[in-house]
Amino acid sequence: MTRRLINWLVIIVVSTNITYLLAWNFMDPRSNYIGRRPPLSPQQITDLLEPRNLSDTVPLLERWWTWLTNILLHWNWGVAPNGDSVNTQMAARMWVSAEFTGATLVITTIAGIALGVYTANRQYKTADRIGHFTSTITMNIPPIVAALGFVLIAIWINDAVGTTIFYVTGPVGLSSEHWWVPVLDTLHRLILPTLAMSLVGYATTHFLQRALLLDNISADYVRTARAKGLTKQRAIRKHALRTSLIPIATQIAFSIPVIFLGAVLSEQIFAWHGLGEYLVQTIGRNDVHGTVAIAAFGAFLTAIGALLADIAVVALDPRVRVN
Amino acid sequence: MTITEAPTAQRSKPLSKWSLYSRRYFRNIPATVALGIFVVLVLFAVVGPVFQKWDHIELDFLSLSDGPSSEHWFGTTNSGNDVFAMTVEGLRRSLMIALIVSTGTTVISAVLGGVAAYFGGWSERIILWVIHFMMAVPGFLIVALVTNGSGGNWFILAIMLVVIGWMTLARTVWTLSLSIRESEYIQAARYMGVGSFRIVLRHMLPNMASLLIINFTLGVVAAVNSETSLSFLGFGVRVPDVSLGTLIAMGSSVVTSAPWIFLFPGAILTLLTVSMAFVADGLRDALDPNSAAGGRA
Repeated sequence: MTRRLINWLVIIVVSTNITYLLAWNFMDPRSNYIGRRPPLSPQQITDLLEPRNLSDTVPLLERWWTWLTNILLHWNWGVAPNGDSVNTQMAARMWVSAEFTGATLVITTIAGIALGVYTANRQYKTADRIGHFTSTITMNIPPIVAALGFVLIAIWINDAVGTTIFYVTGPVGLSSEHWWVPVLDTLHRLILPTLAMSLVGYATTHFLQRALLLDNISADYVRTARAKGLTKQRAIRKHALRTSLIPIATQIAFSIPVIFLGAVLSEQIFAWHGLGEYLVQTIGRNDVHGTVAIAAFGAFLTAIGALLADIAVVALDPRVRVN
Repeated sequence: MTITEAPTAQRSKPLSKWSLYSRRYFRNIPATVALGIFVVLVLFAVVGPVFQKWDHIELDFLSLSDGPSSEHWFGTTNSGNDVFAMTVEGLRRSLMIALIVSTGTTVISAVLGGVAAYFGGWSERIILWVIHFMMAVPGFLIVALVTNGSGGNWFILAIMLVVIGWMTLARTVWTLSLSIRESEYIQAARYMGVGSFRIVLRHMLPNMASLLIINFTLGVVAAVNSETSLSFLGFGVRVPDVSLGTLIAMGSSVVTSAPWIFLFPGAILTLLTVSMAFVADGLRDALDPNSAAGGRA
């Protein structure tokens, strides 16, 4: 376990530093100030950028060292070219993203498992074929088209009914004396993006669960259970399903980075101010520190997901023993 | 005791390889329809310019943001571009990128995975290390950075998508090759003195042909999706170049006032990805090397 932890730590550190160097290679914070009215002299730009550790007049190695020591000693991930603290942005947006994708993850997992079990029990029958056909279609609808399509339909329904049934944008920060007004508003605004993301997302789990359960239904130990007198339903539920859920648990653990970072496109389309939107903004604004912070956070979450997946396998699978 | 003649099985002659594949493929109705749709889309991209009345960069100042009409079949944008011409051009660009990316990733992962498994030792260790390292690197971010830095050149976008996209398939090829390496016909070829590269190319890779072909089709879907997403966010193909992603991005800002700018490219994109998925599905059944049917459809 310690070896795994160290291994992941090395990967996080190396990939973060590489992203830092790459970001400097392709981003130029100075260019944000070119073309300002009134124009700024190169010296003025340098004076603005230098205290933020974003000036290209300082050698790259020195910039890198300042950036690294700030993180290691003060847990300070630096500032954007306009002076915003990266720490504050990350801390706030992280939870917006989690709110945004949490419900989708739950829905896709439950719907996927349920459909997978249902169709595996009826392999090659009509229900299975219809499920396979529709899931192939929904899985391959491009997420952008699905999101924009839902926006169009929602606006059409709103117009037809005459009131706002669906909101197509994120929370606007309602202030009210009752705590539940903003919560309800957020939930209300979540309906449409959750529908759009669930539609394209559930099929992966469906196909995985179906394939896994089919493998296990024909396994010897399920036949033994049937021979001992269990009904087919009971044999599947007690024996085949339990083993086939293990890889699904692994898949859920690996989707942890997706919860916080995944919905770049949907956040952009539905105007939710989460980390996905932040990623697009940082690249557009030549915000080196913000971009690197997101990359580091992504690597960290991948590591957490991988470690949780290992733990899930050990906890659920009686065949695996901890060494 | 009489010797009874063993009844000669009434077996039909085994089909040739290609007629077997095509018969298995074309009895799958969704796959056949999907192949038809895909062919139509390719024709649309190739010969579409013959039918278009306007060029994709030509502006019609008399009809700004107009709906579909006999003059502009898919309507116009708010600067007067013909959406039909732009969709044809965008589809061609997106298809070209997708084919380059999918061919590139399939070839690279087949060769590297096969080489790693067959030669073992140092080459294997280096290739596997590179694969694991590339998997941990934030791919999306790097593509966005490099393409953004190059000013939205579509060819650089395609190359970058190959660079970050080959690892998973290479690993699969590697695991499969490990088992094929130990099979008798490879041993036989080795003792006959066939060269190493020739063994990898002529004996190991053809045995994974079905996997590679299916992954090629699915790779087209993945590449189209990455390209359109990146272009949509502004990190891929850029104006004046057109792809389906930039068209959808253009349509997304006016989705209520001029829905046709989004609807036509969006529908074409969906048709492309969904049809390729069904083609992959049909190929998986048709090329199944473990089929129990044994030479019969």
